[in-house]
Amino acid sequence: MGRYILKRLMTLIPIIIGISILVFMILHLVPGDPASIMLGTNATPEAIEALNRSMGLDRPLIVQYLTWASGLVQGDFGVSIHSGEPILPAIWNRFLVTFQLTILAALIGWSIAIPVGILSAVKAHSAVDVAGRVVAMLGISVPNFAIGTLMLLGLSLYFGWYPPIDYVHFWQDPVEAFKIFILPSITMGIVLAAGIMRMTRSAFLETLDKEFIRTARAKGNGEWTVIIGHALRNSTIPVVTIAGMQIGYLLGGAVIVEQLFSVPGLGQYILDGIHQRDYPIVQGGVLFIALIFVLVNLFVDVIYTWIDPRIKY
Amino acid sequence: MKKNWVSAFLLTLSVALTACGGGGQSTTQPTDKPAEPAKEAAAPAAPARENVLIVAADQDPVGLDPHKIPAASSARIYGLIYDGLTKMDPEFNVIPNLATKWEFSEDGKTLTFHLQPGVKFHNGREMTSEDVKYSFERILNPDTGSTVKSFFASIEAIETPDANTVVFKLTNPDSAIVANTSSAQVAIVPKEVADLNTEAVGTGPFMMEKMESGQYVQLKKNPNYFKDGLPKADGIKFTIMKDEAQRTAAIRSGKIDIASVNADTAMLLEKTPALKIESYQSAEYGYLGINTAKKPFDNPKVRQAISYAVNRDEIVQTVWKGQAELTGPISPAQKSWAVDTSSFASYKHDVAKAKELLKEAGLADGFKTTLYTASTYPDMIESAQVIQQQLKAIGIDAQINQLEWAAYIEMWKSKDTDLLVGRNTSGTDPDRSMRFFFSTTGSANVWNYSNPAYDEIVQKALETTDPAGRKELYNQAQQMLVEDAPNLFLASPKNFYAVSEQVDGFVPTAAGEAFAIVRASIK
Repeated sequence: MGRYILKRLMTLIPIIIGISILVFMILHLVPGDPASIMLGTNATPEAIEALNRSMGLDRPLIVQYLTWASGLVQGDFGVSIHSGEPILPAIWNRFLVTFQLTILAALIGWSIAIPVGILSAVKAHSAVDVAGRVVAMLGISVPNFAIGTLMLLGLSLYFGWYPPIDYVHFWQDPVEAFKIFILPSITMGIVLAAGIMRMTRSAFLETLDKEFIRTARAKGNGEWTVIIGHALRNSTIPVVTIAGMQIGYLLGGAVIVEQLFSVPGLGQYILDGIHQRDYPIVQGGVLFIALIFVLVNLFVDVIYTWIDPRIKY
Repeated sequence: MKKNWVSAFLLTLSVALTACGGGGQSTTQPTDKPAEPAKEAAAPAAPARENVLIVAADQDPVGLDPHKIPAASSARIYGLIYDGLTKMDPEFNVIPNLATKWEFSEDGKTLTFHLQPGVKFHNGREMTSEDVKYSFERILNPDTGSTVKSFFASIEAIETPDANTVVFKLTNPDSAIVANTSSAQVAIVPKEVADLNTEAVGTGPFMMEKMESGQYVQLKKNPNYFKDGLPKADGIKFTIMKDEAQRTAAIRSGKIDIASVNADTAMLLEKTPALKIESYQSAEYGYLGINTAKKPFDNPKVRQAISYAVNRDEIVQTVWKGQAELTGPISPAQKSWAVDTSSFASYKHDVAKAKELLKEAGLADGFKTTLYTASTYPDMIESAQVIQQQLKAIGIDAQINQLEWAAYIEMWKSKDTDLLVGRNTSGTDPDRSMRFFFSTTGSANVWNYSNPAYDEIVQKALETTDPAGRKELYNQAQQMLVEDAPNLFLASPKNFYAVSEQVDGFVPTAAGEAFAIVRASIK
């Protein structure tokens, strides 16, 4: 197990090198440079040139890449070319925000999805099942910015309510943080719930068809004992896989939701970086996300061995 | 057993629902009249309210060095921290600021500014003529990369005979220079601060207190501000709200005091109690740029045909919901410099005339072309769509190509566009609208427009110190531009602010947001 984890962590090295080259190239190949964007339609050619020079962007690409990469090796992600702010602490602060948002969204989403999914499978083709599936379909189909906008505008119009505008972390003030995060979390939770619910339902249906379930029933166990005691654990693996991917994806920042609610999270940070061609922010941010994604997947793989002891690495 | 599952589900659901409902009740009083939420919401906060204005900002500032960063998101903040030598009033007159008065020499080549004595920077040091010299030299230094450098191209030398006098020696008379010192970017900065992005030290009405990227910028009152009685508020908090829906919800529920909104939202919020909508004529205008070097646009007749085919009133109505003025090359906000658009023949929508001009140009069957615009700005996209339809009527098939902002800027400065929809700001002096954008060597003349007669008039206007004579020259130049049509000037929109009733004295004008904020406070 330990060796497996170590091996997986080692694969991070080529992944990071690959991504760093890819992101760097893509960013520098798309049209637009930071100076032109900063100066906009007020620019003069000499002003653009001077600004690019002062940001070190007139050097050959390979030199720029190596300078950046050698900093990375020493844990230095560089500074924002616009504000001069160091990038790693900024990414970390933004990530903490995204992390809290993700966890709350997942708690909300899953706590609805898993019970409903199980109920849907157990009562397959009943009214409950149909209702659950329709809601899940809606959750997948309605874009989350629409749900979010409706909640924001509706609450302000009918209840005069708006979330607190000063950001706090959960460990600073749980109540205020909850008020800040609740709307974006519900918005994201609905989408998460839809996916998980459908997966839970189909995994459960499959498991309930298995012979060991028949055996368990034949032994005279009550229906819910069979479901909780036998079917649940055996249906979990596909659900955990999807859940892990959802978490990995959300930790990279839910750009639209963060934008809509002005949550100072990672997604928004990188999006701003892209718009302003703030290369170090985008490069550092994407690398960080890749890292998180790999780690979350590794974590999910480790959980498999706990859910199903037959799985060995 | 079955009941347990159902109740568990209901419990989860109700936790989620009460969470948002419960949050609401803790900050507002329960309302029985949904129609008047904002009033009730605002009521409990009123008694102990600090005199700090909360303003919604739609973008994070991208840096705070006034000489380097022209972005509006940054300028609205450093415009409160720094002062310039002069300032614009709401009528677009240049008024004293750090300079109490100024005079030109007889030949117009020496400009002397007399500074307000005893003005202190936020770090406590007194501002002197040396700082003014340093600031202008920094702007003029090519390494700074300042966009306002070209405003001061006529400066040959800067002298400081004493602590309160600055003398600019000019290569030629320059009647735009004084107005140009009123730009927020022409800030007077202290010479000892090395990095103005990380340290904001000005002489302005507000001082930097705290800044959290992606969240807020907090400014506090400068207790030593050199103008008595200003600023009126003890502080300003710019809170970052990127989404229009979010700003709408926040101002409606009384969480923020001032938000700039678009025309649609302004109309939506008009009847909201406890809010008022303030509007003013902006100095911005939308335009259709035409590459005068590219076939078939190199033929003035084709450009004129486009001008006759474009119905500007329709753009005002559809894109700006009627909340815009027709504009010439100088926007109507610049008052007396602007020309009455009814004097422009090609502003009358005339499809027959347009077709005739195309026929004369040998293009009776029309042609295909590309119309570029920026995907970031809904008004530009809508303008492009309206123009596309209008051009279709004379047989011009314009494909719209929406570009992401960075790619758009790239296209703009390439000088290789076909048609391009964009937006400009008139700036502080008419010289900018005219010479900067359209003279042959103008820095922002990306249209390859070159007309020696025009160049001569605008240069002469720059060197003319008599306002009446200058105005006459600019009138001629504007007629010339409208006729030659390197750009079609479309409409200059109004800007809107939603303002809480708790705010006193916030009157936005073309003089800029800072001018209004300094005079506003919490009731």
